[in-house]
Amino acid sequence: MKYLLLLATILVAPSLLFAQNCRYSLSGHIEDADLKEKLAAASVYIRETNSRVVTDSNGDFRFGALCAGRYTLIITHVNCDSVIKIIQLNRDEHIDLRLPHSLQTLGTVVVESRKGRENSGFKKELSGQQMEQTRGSSLAEALSRINGVTMLQTGSTIAKPVIHGLHSSRILLINNGVRQEGQQWGNEHAPEIDPFIAEKLAVIKGVDELKYGSDAIAGVILVEPRSLRNEPGYNAEFNTGWATNNRQMIFSGIWEQTLKKIPAFTYRLQGTFRKAANAATPDYRLNNTGAEEKNFSATAAWQKKMFRTELFYSRFETSLGIFTGSHIGNITDLQNAINTSRPDPVFTGQDSYRISRPYQQVTHQLVKSKSVLLKGAHKFNLSLAGQFNHRREYDIVRSSSNSRPQLDLSVNTFSEDLNWEHPRTNNIAGTLGISLVQQRNHYSGRYFIPNYNTYTYGAYWIEKWSRHRWDIQAGIRYDYKTIDTRRLKYNGDTLDHNFNFSTVAASFNSNFRASAAWIFNLGISLSRRAPYVNELLSDGIHHGTATYEKGSIELKPEQSLSLHSGLQFRNHDGKLNAEVLLYANFIRDFIYQQPMPENPVLTIAGAFPLLEYRQTDALLSGMDLSVDWDPAGPFRLSGKIAILYGYNRIARDWLILMPANKLGSEISYVLADKGAFTGNSLSMEWNWTDRQRRVPDAGNGSQDYKVPPPAYQLINLQASSTISVSQRPVTVGIGVRNLFNTRYRDYLNSMRYFADEMGRNISFRLKISIEKNQRDKSISKH
Amino acid sequence: MKTQLTKIAFAAFMAAVLLTACSKDKDEVEDNEEEVITTLKLTFTPAGGGTALTYQFRDPDGPGGIAPTTDEIVLAPSKSYDVAIEVLNETTTPAEDITEEIAEEAAAHRFYFQPSAGSNITVSNLNTDGNGIALGLASTWTTTATATGTIKVTLRHYPGNPPGKAAADPIDSPKSGTDIEVTFNTKVQ
Repeated sequence: MKYLLLLATILVAPSLLFAQNCRYSLSGHIEDADLKEKLAAASVYIRETNSRVVTDSNGDFRFGALCAGRYTLIITHVNCDSVIKIIQLNRDEHIDLRLPHSLQTLGTVVVESRKGRENSGFKKELSGQQMEQTRGSSLAEALSRINGVTMLQTGSTIAKPVIHGLHSSRILLINNGVRQEGQQWGNEHAPEIDPFIAEKLAVIKGVDELKYGSDAIAGVILVEPRSLRNEPGYNAEFNTGWATNNRQMIFSGIWEQTLKKIPAFTYRLQGTFRKAANAATPDYRLNNTGAEEKNFSATAAWQKKMFRTELFYSRFETSLGIFTGSHIGNITDLQNAINTSRPDPVFTGQDSYRISRPYQQVTHQLVKSKSVLLKGAHKFNLSLAGQFNHRREYDIVRSSSNSRPQLDLSVNTFSEDLNWEHPRTNNIAGTLGISLVQQRNHYSGRYFIPNYNTYTYGAYWIEKWSRHRWDIQAGIRYDYKTIDTRRLKYNGDTLDHNFNFSTVAASFNSNFRASAAWIFNLGISLSRRAPYVNELLSDGIHHGTATYEKGSIELKPEQSLSLHSGLQFRNHDGKLNAEVLLYANFIRDFIYQQPMPENPVLTIAGAFPLLEYRQTDALLSGMDLSVDWDPAGPFRLSGKIAILYGYNRIARDWLILMPANKLGSEISYVLADKGAFTGNSLSMEWNWTDRQRRVPDAGNGSQDYKVPPPAYQLINLQASSTISVSQRPVTVGIGVRNLFNTRYRDYLNSMRYFADEMGRNISFRLKISIEKNQRDKSISKH
Repeated sequence: MKTQLTKIAFAAFMAAVLLTACSKDKDEVEDNEEEVITTLKLTFTPAGGGTALTYQFRDPDGPGGIAPTTDEIVLAPSKSYDVAIEVLNETTTPAEDITEEIAEEAAAHRFYFQPSAGSNITVSNLNTDGNGIALGLASTWTTTATATGTIKVTLRHYPGNPPGKAAADPIDSPKSGTDIEVTFNTKVQ
């Protein structure tokens, strides 16, 4: 209650202090810097107000009713590099901007924005203020703000993204242009990426998937860092955060510099430290649910007009505690733990940063070199990457002198990608590429998956045609993958299994701008995913769920036919935006775990229920709907709905672990600027998650230990303001998650068997930016 | 421009050589040193002398693979036996004797014996740890009339530090977790 009062004061006070003074306008004119042509259809976005306009046929744009203050303008155009410009608005302003043509400066790191046309298929992004609000949360939690994306969790520390009901090896996660390769097959293996690296997160489906693999059955997640500097000077950003519930502290910093003497050379250093103590539910604190993360990255680039090369290194290291009450010796222990309505006091009440068994320790290193060469209008990209992933899982062990991890997996991956972007002729632009991947996995300790070597050889071809109101894009990809596995038996014998798979993928999407208000798009994607090593050969006890998982060497690649159709509406002044997406994903030979209740596996610790990997035909269909209304006043409203049906067509039954239907809405209020306080905003969010009613029937083999938890609703608050401290912007933010300290459990969190979710969490964040440009010719003010 | 193309090709070649060289690292060797309990062996010595009897649960390849074997415990009626437990890891050669480790950390381990009703077996006289609380590596089994039934032998282990083991702890105490849970068929004849 004390917090509530404090919060109310903080939230209400600024609105009383600041009078409205929002009558300024910002207009501008945009040209292509190289062609010296006025640039129509460039998007101009103000991050602080989250408003966007598009330049008209003369390259002009205008924002009205702006408050005085400091704004970040992000100007993007399909043929150009994005430009970010910070302006101080104290009167009506007009600015002229020249956008560098992307074919010559190669500034952005975002792969697809450099292509002639963006991916016209499904695309949803998180950036700007929305991204800022997620600072301090995990990558999956940030992504789950995107409608249609949910989280699969193991307690409060481990979360991975789910797109339209699918996750793990069915999602390709592209970290800074490189396909992330770790032990992503496991439900409790979270992505090994520092969320502070990302300036933007995007989820895409459609032809651009084909650049990364033929197996993106659920889609592709792009984690995109900000562009490197392309003018001399330096800038720095420092973020810090503190949260009350688990005493989480975060420090993250970025330093970027381009030297005046060697303007072709630019570099960036970035690091993050995060530490959290045990998390508390409304009624009790869960022992051993802390986390610690130490991340570092460095980027150096050499950029000339026709050639650019970049070297990137990142190291991610995390230790994640797993709630002690959820680690299970055998099925009897599991039943005992599940049957209690709250965890035994033995497992609750410690408020400590200490992480003890059971816990996970993961390090992931990425070294990448990327080079771009322009030859006339042709562009060649070469990317070489090495990834070194080491995962150690420390179980509760019988002997107190045992300090070894029980599961110890090292996977090293090398990938080489080369592509050629041919110039746009007859309205067609395209890319041809080849990609090679070599991967080696090594285990020690308990067997769960074997040692293996895989080699993948892939090639793709994408063409994009656009004219007038139409965009039509199509692509095809072929991959050949060999997997040689070796299991080491106790008696010195080895057990070898070798596989090879050919997979073909094809994709088509079209986009039709019927009028200024209506846009239709339609996409069809065919993907094939080779079974993963765990699906083929896992053989062991899964301690989190007290089950015995067994792979099958008979598995074939699963094949998906995904249809998605979207409709976007935007009224004449852009104040009302609505978007609806319908999708259906038919997956033949869908790989899933079938319980085999008649064949439990007898071990010295008792009998474990057996789960065997099997294949069926599945259909995942659903709808995402979102509406955004930004009337003239300070208020802004948005709402979203996500509905999903996951069906096993052979068993004629629902699929397990599918996200429940969700409904959410948000109201935000932008306060007038006052003195040094700018970009003041308040928002309240309401999210409702239904009880999952579509679960497998007990008659098809009991697949779950507990019925899905009831529906729940949460209220979250956000407030932020940017203060100018000696001309430097300092952003402060306060967020409250689960305002009413609601007790709830989520169907997609395996901890629902044992304990409630985290209670109220108040977080504070602070961002300080410093920037100094030593040359600035691209902008002139009148 | 041509020189740049040459440079890029050279860089690619060098990288490919480097990567291929890296990927052929150490040979795969067996380094599986994780503890696996494969065998629970009970040795029955009749009170007052006689031939010792041995019954065991054995899963020599660990969980999964070949199914384990469980002996039927056959005892004479109206007799008392001193029972000694051995816990082994037979995946290694020679077999690792885990019994010693359990004895060393007696305050963090406890065996429970649960004969079924009508099995006509009672278990008593469990040996104790340094704090005088039941351990159960040694016990006395007493039979009455002929019967068939089952007995469940459970080894619980206390991961806490200190373990916090107490005499009144039930078999499903949240303070401890299960390492062994084996049910033998019994016959008193």
